[in-house]
Amino acid sequence: MAHALLIALVLVCVAMPLHAAEEDEHVLMLYGLDPYLAPFLVMDKAVRESVAGGEGARAIFFSESLDSQRFAMERLEPELVALLAKKYSALHIEVVVAVSRTALDFFVQHGERIWPGARVVYVGFLGYEFKPSALPPGASAVLSILDVAGTIDIARRLQPDAHRIVVVCGVSEIDKQAERQAREALAKLDAQVPVEFLSGLPLPELVPRVAAEPPDSIVIYLTQFRDRDGRPYEPHDVLRAIVKTSRAPVYGAAETLIGLGVVAGSVASYESRGRLIGEQVRRALAGGPTDPKHVMLAAPNRCVADARALQRWSLGERRLPSDCEIRFKDVPIWHRYWWQIALTLAIVAAQATLIAALLSQRRRRRLAEQAEQAHRASLAHASRLAVAGELTGAIAHEINQPLGAILSNADAGDLLLDSGVDRRNELRAILADIRRDDLRASEVIQRLRDLLGKQKFERKELDLNDVVNDLESILRAEARRRGVGLEIRPAPETLAIMGDRVQIQQVLINLVLNAMDAVVELPEARRTVVVSVAKGAGGAVLAVRDRGRGIAPEHRAKLFESFFSTKPSGMGLGLSITRTIVEAHGGRIRAESGPEDGTVFQVELPLTIATGASSPHPA
Amino acid sequence: MSTTPLVHVVDDDPSMRAALRRLLDAAGFEVRGYSSTGEFLLQPLPDRPGCLILDMRLPGPSGLELQTALQQRNIMLPVVFLTGHANVTASVQAMKAGAVDFLTKPVKREVLLDAVQRALARDAVQRTAREEADRLRVRFASLTQRQREVFDRIVAGKLNKQIADELSIAERTVKREREQVMAKLDASSAADLGRLAELLQRSAGK
Repeated sequence: MAHALLIALVLVCVAMPLHAAEEDEHVLMLYGLDPYLAPFLVMDKAVRESVAGGEGARAIFFSESLDSQRFAMERLEPELVALLAKKYSALHIEVVVAVSRTALDFFVQHGERIWPGARVVYVGFLGYEFKPSALPPGASAVLSILDVAGTIDIARRLQPDAHRIVVVCGVSEIDKQAERQAREALAKLDAQVPVEFLSGLPLPELVPRVAAEPPDSIVIYLTQFRDRDGRPYEPHDVLRAIVKTSRAPVYGAAETLIGLGVVAGSVASYESRGRLIGEQVRRALAGGPTDPKHVMLAAPNRCVADARALQRWSLGERRLPSDCEIRFKDVPIWHRYWWQIALTLAIVAAQATLIAALLSQRRRRRLAEQAEQAHRASLAHASRLAVAGELTGAIAHEINQPLGAILSNADAGDLLLDSGVDRRNELRAILADIRRDDLRASEVIQRLRDLLGKQKFERKELDLNDVVNDLESILRAEARRRGVGLEIRPAPETLAIMGDRVQIQQVLINLVLNAMDAVVELPEARRTVVVSVAKGAGGAVLAVRDRGRGIAPEHRAKLFESFFSTKPSGMGLGLSITRTIVEAHGGRIRAESGPEDGTVFQVELPLTIATGASSPHPA
Repeated sequence: MSTTPLVHVVDDDPSMRAALRRLLDAAGFEVRGYSSTGEFLLQPLPDRPGCLILDMRLPGPSGLELQTALQQRNIMLPVVFLTGHANVTASVQAMKAGAVDFLTKPVKREVLLDAVQRALARDAVQRTAREEADRLRVRFASLTQRQREVFDRIVAGKLNKQIADELSIAERTVKREREQVMAKLDASSAADLGRLAELLQRSAGK
């Protein structure tokens, strides 16, 4: 059931064009010859475009070909007429464009039966035994000229010293008409140049015959649809074949021959002819006057030459008529594509400008960033120096301890040697201790240099535990000096962060010293600072907790501001620098405080992607 | 009782402690090391010549606090401070409290040994004085009531006649008691007696 419906629908759709809407108009292109010949293709396209471009109803094109050059019309005619009558019985053709004399004759004879009421536009050549009287009423004609005379004239301009003229043509009806025209034109030629007609030679004979012509001959190619043996040809193929081997320049009188190897010709534009036909079709569709019959000539023939062919036969371009159009000339690329090139250059220039602007912007931004970083680094450095001042006692202690041990060990060794007793083992132990203490002292100094030196901001992968470990001894010394307990709780796993070791250490020092300040005056039980490292939800967390009095509510808002301090000798830079450093590392810092619980400063730093649950230590 | 001086070293840094122990050992002293104030106080202190080398900064109570604690317990061990980082306040406090010296690490051998020698010398002086006072107290205890009354007045600078009037005894009796006192206390003159009185008073004040 569904299938039947579908088939019915398809059938209706297929039948639709035959019962087209009333307002559509129908034009038939009726070709007497093969409609796919190059000139017809150019012309047909122009006709359709011209008609479509005009006002009025939509025109629907149909085309039929009689192909009379290759099929004997008289034998097929009855059946063809019957077929076409049946084919167009349900369709009203308003205009028939009859291309070539055969088509016109067919229309005159059978048009009323097949396309009743249709008006005809004839397309043909002037002088092909055409008389306006042959046109039916209401017809119009667009005629062009096969300008053999003009073509010969061009040939003789280019080759004034030519000794011979050879004309190549076929033996079909159209070929013969062309030949007759050529003979007429040549007859009018006053110069005494021998002329030879090669009419209807089979291609295998024709090609060597033309090739044998000396270079100073003129070869004129008309058309060859058929040779004397009745073999049909595509006329352009014949031309191509003879041009290939000809030593003498070849000329042609049709526009579509230019470009296939002929030197030049006096030709009519098929495109302008097509447009003209289109106009006539529109006029006929619009119901223009039916009488008198409208006959018009297509655009006049012009000289058109092929630069490549001129070069091939060494013919001087200067000898051509001044208005001659020279095609296929290597015009400079700039002339041919000037606007594309200009546009491309403009785009490239615009892009270059844009890129330059972006680069300069980037450079400026980077410079500003560098300046800001340098500023931050020098502030941080100043603050570290201040902190170092506070830590002097602890630092001196950390260094003097091993130095004292070294000196005393050395002195002891001296005394042992003086005593004269062989105590080599003891001396060896002394030396080992000296070495160890020396390394201990230099390690402290190295860490101090790292901390106090004014080095560049350096981003590296660090384990937050290591940063804390490095400072442990100095912080412990300071805690002892102040009589404050210090508890350090590292994280069990590696917490890899990207950052500058010294700046992170500075954050730790600032927070720990702050915490110690907060508890130093309290009873001993509360005089403890706890530093812990742990993995939090948002990254690695460094927490410094004290059990001091907490932060006064009125100070909370200003806690991280520069030059804000509650300490009598404080500069008010510690926490502001701490926050700047933390934020430069993509982290966050916050303080929690209660009057009994003391204060916790929590620094959260993003972990590097590599940090898994238990990644190995990064060396 | 050993006559070799015993040097106590209190320092929390094991390396420093070991080095000091070696040095002092090589210099001919007997050494004992302690890592904290508490450890030192828990050990029984033998009665022999010695001194204490003390770090200022120690875990728990500091060196200064130990010095105070020793004085409170009447332990007269001379103290040499040896610290990693000296500050003025601490050194003044230490010296006021009777420290022999206040040294900073690293310390030169001569400086350290000199300080130790001075500390030991002071210890020796203190020990001698303490022994003399003890002996004197024993002798003083052998005086009769009358002889003590006479002694007090001689030391106060009174003449025999004045003493006799005050005690309502004969001047001759005073003269005899005076000779007894001089003999018992092993003194040769009134000025000698004055010095002894002063010594007694000082040791009694302790």
